[in-house]
Amino acid sequence: MTAFVLALVVGALFALGTFLLLRRDLIRIVWGLAIVSQAANVYLLAMGGIVEGGFETVPVLAGHGEHAPETADPLVQALVLTAIVIGFGMTAFALVLSYRVYEEHDTLDASELGDRG
Amino acid sequence: MIAQASAGTESTLVIAPMLVALVTAVAALLVGHRPRARAVSSLAGGLGYAAAVAALAWVVVLAPDAPGIATYRVGGLRAPFGIVLVADGLSAFMLTMTAAIALSSLVFSRRYAAHSGPRTFYYPLFYFLLLGVTGAFLTGDLFNLFVWFEVMLMASYVFVAYYGGPRHTRAAFWYVALNLLASAVFLLGVGGLYATTGTLNMADLARRLADPAAYGIDTVPVVGLLALLLSVFAIKAGLVPFQFWIPTAYRAAPPPITALLVGATKKVGIYAIIRLSFTVFAGARVGVTLELPGTGIAVAGDTPLAFVGAALFVMAAASIVVGGVGAIGRETIEGVLAYSSIGQIGFIAIPVAIAATTSSAGLRRAAIVAALVYALNHTLAKGLLFLSVGTVRNATGTSRLAELGGLAGRSPPLALAFFVGSLALVGIPPLSGFFGKFLVFDAAARAGSAPILGLLLGGSLLTIAYATRVWNRSFWGVRTPAVEDADVDPVQLAVVLALALAILAIGVGFEPVYRFATAAADAALDAEAYVDAVAPSGGAGA
Repeated sequence: MTAFVLALVVGALFALGTFLLLRRDLIRIVWGLAIVSQAANVYLLAMGGIVEGGFETVPVLAGHGEHAPETADPLVQALVLTAIVIGFGMTAFALVLSYRVYEEHDTLDASELGDRG
Repeated sequence: MIAQASAGTESTLVIAPMLVALVTAVAALLVGHRPRARAVSSLAGGLGYAAAVAALAWVVVLAPDAPGIATYRVGGLRAPFGIVLVADGLSAFMLTMTAAIALSSLVFSRRYAAHSGPRTFYYPLFYFLLLGVTGAFLTGDLFNLFVWFEVMLMASYVFVAYYGGPRHTRAAFWYVALNLLASAVFLLGVGGLYATTGTLNMADLARRLADPAAYGIDTVPVVGLLALLLSVFAIKAGLVPFQFWIPTAYRAAPPPITALLVGATKKVGIYAIIRLSFTVFAGARVGVTLELPGTGIAVAGDTPLAFVGAALFVMAAASIVVGGVGAIGRETIEGVLAYSSIGQIGFIAIPVAIAATTSSAGLRRAAIVAALVYALNHTLAKGLLFLSVGTVRNATGTSRLAELGGLAGRSPPLALAFFVGSLALVGIPPLSGFFGKFLVFDAAARAGSAPILGLLLGGSLLTIAYATRVWNRSFWGVRTPAVEDADVDPVQLAVVLALALAILAIGVGFEPVYRFATAAADAALDAEAYVDAVAPSGGAGA
């Protein structure tokens, strides 16, 4: 059930992100990028598996002796944490950049902006 | 488990280049408001970086009884849980190349950064860019590769937007958007590989993929995931169809940074393709049969390399055509050089593709050597040319071919350096470019593919065409008013001349460079030594 919900969420986020990426408005494009990054993060989290782990996946727990608590895969959580921080910073930068683009070009329309010149 | 004896050589030297770059970045940030301290610290950092890289290359690879590969465990944790930095021949070769271009563009920046732009952040960003590149070359972990890519990209985003004009903000926006999307795709590849193989340590990946049954791995999805990663690296390298951001971004960034983007950032893409394809994924066994219609190249073997080779052939061939044809009609020197670098990256990717598809071990090694030597020449020659453009633009205020002419008479040394760079790009002996071209043609000939040879020949002719055009339009002919008033900066000229001398020196004394490149190719192909050195123990059972 959890796997099904996760798959649905990842799919929906990617669909929404792609939709926004194809807009003409720069702010929507930035939103699209942010959502696609989040979709990738959820996907990354899902890739760790939703089965509870023990000693084998969490070497630190070996220090707890026989009575290790069960836990989910910590590696993907560490990865996602890093990816979230990077994605957050980049989204902020992209937003500031789109503000600069607006200042310089007086428009936020991608098709008026063009990509040459 | 942590106390086990370790295999392979451990050396603190491995982390030295990264530490130098990091410390200098922070130091440059702290003293940024004082021009003199800023200049001194940045130059000292550059020399320290070069020294660290040279020491690493010497101790690990070049010295008579060098181990060939060394690792550094961050925090003392063992692979695959701990982060391991690995320096082998391939990393050392790439780092040496990076150090050469970084030092040149750093000295060049001294005057350049003083003219315009938010100067305080120039050097910190420069060193963060360098740190990202260095980390990407040294890391032994796929997710860390992603992180170092981001460090490198963040600095380059700011540099593309550095001048803040209409052209720069627009170029930066598309550059950022494309790379954010690429980062998401990179994460998808990383996540998929972790789910499939249960590890992200490159040595552990190589070990598990070589023996999938023992670890319960299904190798078929690996090919698709490798395809995702390949597209990300192709964006960094600027291979067609991911080349469209290059001309605008390269024109927007300051020239010394463009030299670094071409010389180091682009090569990170190539390095990642070579490292992942040959060291990590080469051992996997999957049934892929492919034949490229019309080229006479059938994909041999049953590894993911078959797919990589086929995809690279198509991308490289398209790059050579698009880059070469695109370069001919540009109006500015930077425009020509930016398109040219799309074409030249094709010349580097062709031998990599040959290496991926061949079943002969000798040819595979020779082809990778060819790719590396060509990459080295491209770094030096294109770095020289982009820095020359910076000199020209500083002196004359323009780089439009229509407004230039007769530069050779105004500044013969600059003309000489530009000429050497152009000849190296074309591949005239005794410059380093000759050996690059020669080895690539040799690999194509040994692969026995006439269409590939024809393509390389056509690409070379295009190179001659656009190099001649730039030379004729800007250095020969009647002096324009802009050129008449030109005042060439002596420091910049010295840097450009030093690079020209380096290109000549490599061409004349090619033997040690060839041996270094061969050692790098051997390191790339020897997955077993890589696994042994990193010695991943146990593993996360996903």
